[in-house]
Amino acid sequence: MSLIEVRNLVKKFPIRGGVLNRVVNNVHAVRGVTFDIASGETVGVVGESGCGKSTLGKCLIRLIEPTEGLVAYEGEEITGLSHSELMPYRRKMQIVFQDPYSSLNPRLTVQATLAEAIKLHGVVKQSGSAMDDYIDELMRQVGLRPDDKVKFPHEFSGGQRQRIGIARALSVRPDFIVADEPVSALDVSIQAQVLNLMKKLREELGLTMMFISHDLKVVEHFCDRVLVMYLGYVVEEVRTDDLDNTAQHPYTRALLGANPIDDPDDRRPLVILQGDVPSPINPPPGCPFAGRCPLVMDRCREKMPPLEVKNGAPVACWAVEDGKAPEPLTRAGSRSPASA
Amino acid sequence: MIRRFLRSRGMRKFRRNRLALFASGIIFVYFTIFLGIVTTEILDVTGVTEAQLRHGTRIRVLPRLHPGFLQSSSTEKRYLDINWHKDRLGRVFDRDLSSVELPRQALGELDLAERKVIEAPLGEVIEQYEAFLAAYETLDELFYERDDLLDYMLSVELDLKDARKAGDEAQSEELSAEFDEIQAEAAEILPLFDEALEEAEARLADLMPPPTGWDGVVYGFRTFLGSDVSGRSIACKGFYSIKTAFQIGFVVATIAVLIGTLLGAAGAFYGRWVDNGVMWLVSTLSSVPYLVLLAVLAYMFTGHEYFDNPTQYPELQLVKLYTAMGLAFWISTCRVIRGEVMKIKELEYVQAATAIGFGRPYILLRHVIPNTAHIMFINFSLLFIGAIKSEVILSFLGLGVSGQPSWGTMISNSKDDLSNFFFWEVGTASILLFILVLAFNIVSDALQDAFDPKHV
Repeated sequence: MSLIEVRNLVKKFPIRGGVLNRVVNNVHAVRGVTFDIASGETVGVVGESGCGKSTLGKCLIRLIEPTEGLVAYEGEEITGLSHSELMPYRRKMQIVFQDPYSSLNPRLTVQATLAEAIKLHGVVKQSGSAMDDYIDELMRQVGLRPDDKVKFPHEFSGGQRQRIGIARALSVRPDFIVADEPVSALDVSIQAQVLNLMKKLREELGLTMMFISHDLKVVEHFCDRVLVMYLGYVVEEVRTDDLDNTAQHPYTRALLGANPIDDPDDRRPLVILQGDVPSPINPPPGCPFAGRCPLVMDRCREKMPPLEVKNGAPVACWAVEDGKAPEPLTRAGSRSPASA
Repeated sequence: MIRRFLRSRGMRKFRRNRLALFASGIIFVYFTIFLGIVTTEILDVTGVTEAQLRHGTRIRVLPRLHPGFLQSSSTEKRYLDINWHKDRLGRVFDRDLSSVELPRQALGELDLAERKVIEAPLGEVIEQYEAFLAAYETLDELFYERDDLLDYMLSVELDLKDARKAGDEAQSEELSAEFDEIQAEAAEILPLFDEALEEAEARLADLMPPPTGWDGVVYGFRTFLGSDVSGRSIACKGFYSIKTAFQIGFVVATIAVLIGTLLGAAGAFYGRWVDNGVMWLVSTLSSVPYLVLLAVLAYMFTGHEYFDNPTQYPELQLVKLYTAMGLAFWISTCRVIRGEVMKIKELEYVQAATAIGFGRPYILLRHVIPNTAHIMFINFSLLFIGAIKSEVILSFLGLGVSGQPSWGTMISNSKDDLSNFFFWEVGTASILLFILVLAFNIVSDALQDAFDPKHV
């Protein structure tokens, strides 16, 4: 059964202007997204900056109110719930942020940050030594020294801060975590450490995750399934087992083609995208990728293709035909991506 | 937390700035005086009561407009002082003291703070007074003689100059002979006069000896800056005004920072109609000049049972000042805090708190407002000194403090005496204010340099 169900989710940010401060236009951040996340699964969301992936993640845990559509948790709709009705779901769904420097209140010690969440949800019933033990355990879990809990955030490095952010998300024992680009602000070496930590925690605690990133390689390494977003649409939903061979959408293929490969023998056709992402304020009709797509047809500029299952995986593209699988990107004999 | 602050890099940089340290020392001295006066008034620790302390700024300690240290009185001023004492003593001694029920109490009216009429049997005191009176009469006669002579000498001297200029040999010779004659006479009278003056002063000192010991120190403090137009101590008034100034500074800055922070933060954080309301209030109040507001409030409170009753509730006199300045000063804080909160509320730790499930008011109070503390701190110090300056200006204009001394009223009361080169009162008030403002500016400048993240 799916833990999270998202149906036709739309988020528009109004742009106000004029004398009367009326809504003159909208930023179309998320434009009708539908998908499910199964319990225990990790779903990646990739896309360029501004494609709506963070907005999608925040809509899921109600940090942003979606304009239309619904989000359900274990079959219960959570869009439209009031603050108090939402409280049990707040405990089950948490978020890890991108920027480790602004995601921690500089005036609170680590202990205070963790304790206030624990107290609010009554995770530990009585304060005192039980609370201290719980916090110590949490610190150990994310690979920090329990003695450091009395320190302030500025006394930690970026990677350590991100661990504190993870500890805060875990402090209320959630089932589902939205990781909003958790490693993109970190060094590559630290990225690997934090990713491995998250992987370990995911297995230990049986977490379901939504992993937002712009790095397809990280997503491939970390997730079971990936949603590729382009200007508010999910254009492809694909399993990460054999991404190079199963990706169908030209945008996904272009993203994969842009990844550097550690194999001199692997010469894949290089697709370099021209132009830019259209503005989300007045998006063009039809497929938003049409302006940059190598396979563009007249039909693409008129109507957005629906997300249909073609060759066994959902993809939104007119050029992809069912029953005619696209050429694999990887040449036979080359290595598959190394696991970390 | 405080230890961390004191060890921080900015604080180390601040400590290297000698001038700033010196200035903070000065502010500390002012603050100590303020605390001293306040604890005396409220807690009554030193044995000096509030009434006594205030009394010290009201009683006569010297003849009127007496100069302070380093400047000795002219002969004329000394004579006038003796004359002043004589009039004052006369008012008591001319009564038949033997028929007065409590003669000591009657004599007590003559006390100039610690300088009291001698403790002796009444007969002796009256004898001393009569000796002083005799000395005074000799002095008085000599004074008029001396005065006439000096006038005559001046006119002859001028005539002589004119004659010399005109080239009138005969007349100038005649005049110069006359001038020599007068000079000889003056040489006779002037030492006599000086002698008589000293004699009268000595007799006065016999009757009212200058205090010695601890009393002498206190009296020395009272008199070292001279006296104002009513003979009150300028030093007492000047230093007591520190309390008035700090009191207004603290109250106004606290009110303004609190209102400004709460409204600014609430407006920025909640947005929509809250923000519209706050911004409406800000623009409305900033369009009212606070001098006008203060004048209206002062008029409203005139004759009020509590707010205009300097004898019974001197502190409540200041309520109109607090209200007017508080209403005017929170606006700047509000704008700055609003801008900062608009930035903070989009930060990820605020979103994280929402995701955990905290309510909006809790997030505002626990996560947003504490992170504007540095702005509150800076604004407090700016408003503190701003309120003190405004208080002085308002008191100078007659709209401000009444019922207790203030630098503004001191300057305004003595501005007319400046043309007679009596600068002690204006000087004391201005210098005390000047040092405080300068020290504050130096310290805030140094703090800004030390804690500016761009330069650290």
